[in-house]
Amino acid sequence: MPSSVCEFKPEVAKSFAREVMERSGQNILSCYQCRRCAAGCPVGDETGVTPDRLIRMVLLGEKEEALSNLLVWKCVACYTCGTRCPNTIQTARITETLKQMSKEAHLAPLMPKIASFHTAFMASTGSGGRVSELQFMRMYEMDTLKDEFKRGGFKAVMDELKGQADLGLTMWKKKRMHFGSEKVKGISEVKNLYKKSKERPSGR
Amino acid sequence: MQLAYYPGCTLHASSSLYDIQTKKVFKQIGIDLKEIEDWNCCGATSASKTDEFLAIALPARNLGIADATGLQEMLIPCSSCYSRTLVSQKRLAEDKELKNRINGELSRKVEGRIKISSIVEVLAGKAKSGEIASKVTRKLEGLTPACYYGCLLTRFPTDLSVPDDVENPQGMETVCTALGAKPIEWGYKTDCCGASASVNDTDQALVLMYRIFKDAIARGANCFVTTCPMCQLNVDAYQSRVYERYGLGKGMPVYFITELLGIAMGMSPAELQIDRHFVDAVGLLKELKLV
Repeated sequence: MPSSVCEFKPEVAKSFAREVMERSGQNILSCYQCRRCAAGCPVGDETGVTPDRLIRMVLLGEKEEALSNLLVWKCVACYTCGTRCPNTIQTARITETLKQMSKEAHLAPLMPKIASFHTAFMASTGSGGRVSELQFMRMYEMDTLKDEFKRGGFKAVMDELKGQADLGLTMWKKKRMHFGSEKVKGISEVKNLYKKSKERPSGR
Repeated sequence: MQLAYYPGCTLHASSSLYDIQTKKVFKQIGIDLKEIEDWNCCGATSASKTDEFLAIALPARNLGIADATGLQEMLIPCSSCYSRTLVSQKRLAEDKELKNRINGELSRKVEGRIKISSIVEVLAGKAKSGEIASKVTRKLEGLTPACYYGCLLTRFPTDLSVPDDVENPQGMETVCTALGAKPIEWGYKTDCCGASASVNDTDQALVLMYRIFKDAIARGANCFVTTCPMCQLNVDAYQSRVYERYGLGKGMPVYFITELLGIAMGMSPAELQIDRHFVDAVGLLKELKLV
């Protein structure tokens, strides 16, 4: 939980804020802390960091705190903040950028399950061109179980397995479980796009 | 009327019932849907959270395929696919360099002509013109749905013109009214269900869903109706967990808009595959003597 006072770090502030603004496409200099975003953020209570505060951290150069806080990970990209901001700052785009920058800085994700989920999804898409639900969930679980073990030993692993098995069984019973995987004929185009995304630093 | 059609991954997998319903219902109202050829995954929220380039490039390939059909408009039922495709189209129109970089990899290049439409937009248009009411053979009397839009039909991470009120959309209510139902007024119609958080941040998602259920129950809804397969899955599959954790009482079915349309136009629950829900969705229809 960050302290209520942001510390100004001049040696980092300018370059960090510039990078975040360029990559997210958001002009955070226009934020005047009205907190309309904070009022609408559905995860604000649970994260202790609301969009306005995150913007403040970036502007003042609190790089470590900006890259590693719960809002960056728990942001559900509901776009409520950006829709209501009088200066149209889309903070969900900032949390996306910070997630990517955090990965590039090799920082351990604060919420590993979330990171694993999106990585697995993209891997499944990149392999066949369309997501195979079973393949992607399998990749996600393999990663998650490793993290759950580190976090809470066998009990955490069993809890996770039980939760997923319950969901899986219900999905199967209610005929929502899908076993197939579809391959895109033009998969080479998709794979080339994946290759291209690695060309510039941080996939830009 | 012919529309290009992009189902997306979920409609070919766990939400295939929605794909089947969409095709049947649209045929009945006189719209011919042409699924675009060899489409790929749009990347959904995962692409935008992990890779800025792929977030635009993946939907771009589909836009190129869509533009090549020569059709004017493309229907995308899934809210996430709809949002990502629209955002990509806008970004490509603004950033020539990015557009050229991506088009360089595509055999069918993005021109940016085709109009991307949501299922609410298309159906609301047909409801306003009276075309839906004219096809109704059994009015959905007794149904008081909470029309649940979720986040992505009216809010975007960029400046886009939205064909409905952003904070209090009415498109689904317009359709439901044309079907003879009485949709309720409520305050959580565009609140977030948590999306993938239901899997990767479950406690958070349960809190979000609790807020949605609480208001719908208090306002007298006897069912939900939605157009997003992610919202439908969450609000349906996790309903019993939320109700149990927060002591909310008896559950309520979560319909796809296409299910209500199908029933009102005389189709059977079996052909619409309404038995593929987590919370029983046929019981209420039987109770109200609609089937």
